[in-house]
Amino acid sequence: MIKIQSEDIDITHYLDIVRTPDSGGIVNFLGTVRDYAKGRKVAKMSIEVYKAMAVTQLTAIRAEAIEKFGVNEIVVVHRYGDLDVLDNIVFIAVSSGHRKEAFKACMYVIDELKQRVPIWKKEITPEGNFWVEGEKHE
Amino acid sequence: MRIKVRYFGQFRDFTGKREEDLEVKSGITVLEIREHVRGLYPKIAAKNEVLVAVNGNFGALDDIINETDEVAFFPPVSGG
Repeated sequence: MIKIQSEDIDITHYLDIVRTPDSGGIVNFLGTVRDYAKGRKVAKMSIEVYKAMAVTQLTAIRAEAIEKFGVNEIVVVHRYGDLDVLDNIVFIAVSSGHRKEAFKACMYVIDELKQRVPIWKKEITPEGNFWVEGEKHE
Repeated sequence: MRIKVRYFGQFRDFTGKREEDLEVKSGITVLEIREHVRGLYPKIAAKNEVLVAVNGNFGALDDIINETDEVAFFPPVSGG
């Protein structure tokens, strides 16, 4: 399941979605808003998304990870809008028969997300607002 | 032909627009429309990385754009 939403992430709900009888574990990653970046204090974060394309890209990444690592289920939830320090940004959960594949698949999804999914962060700081420069697209 | 172009992230600040229609030649490629937009907006021209998506996918620079396609311009992504 892929979700792009402004509201907070109901982690328990999404953990239940990936829970399957043939899984021996669930690995998850939760990205949160940090209060500093590059030596600057960060007060808030604003996240913009190109929603239709983000869903297309995340759907492809999810399918690739399931195929590549043979895991059972993957859910990815990403927020947009105005967030405060400590708030949840992104949640990825992967269920698998064995833990190693689940860790690898979870890492794959977050790494690919940071390269290919059209989402941009803007840091709101006492010194002004700064768009976060993404990693180079390959 | 007229095509719909959308801007995201910092490029919205650079253009002052979320979207616009551009008049371009028929059979224009991804590379050509990227150069066209760079010509319109010096701040986009100054960026090393200008990403172009057609209908939600990253295509090849020599892909041909059709009138009904949605073309989006944005800087490298920074989600997660």
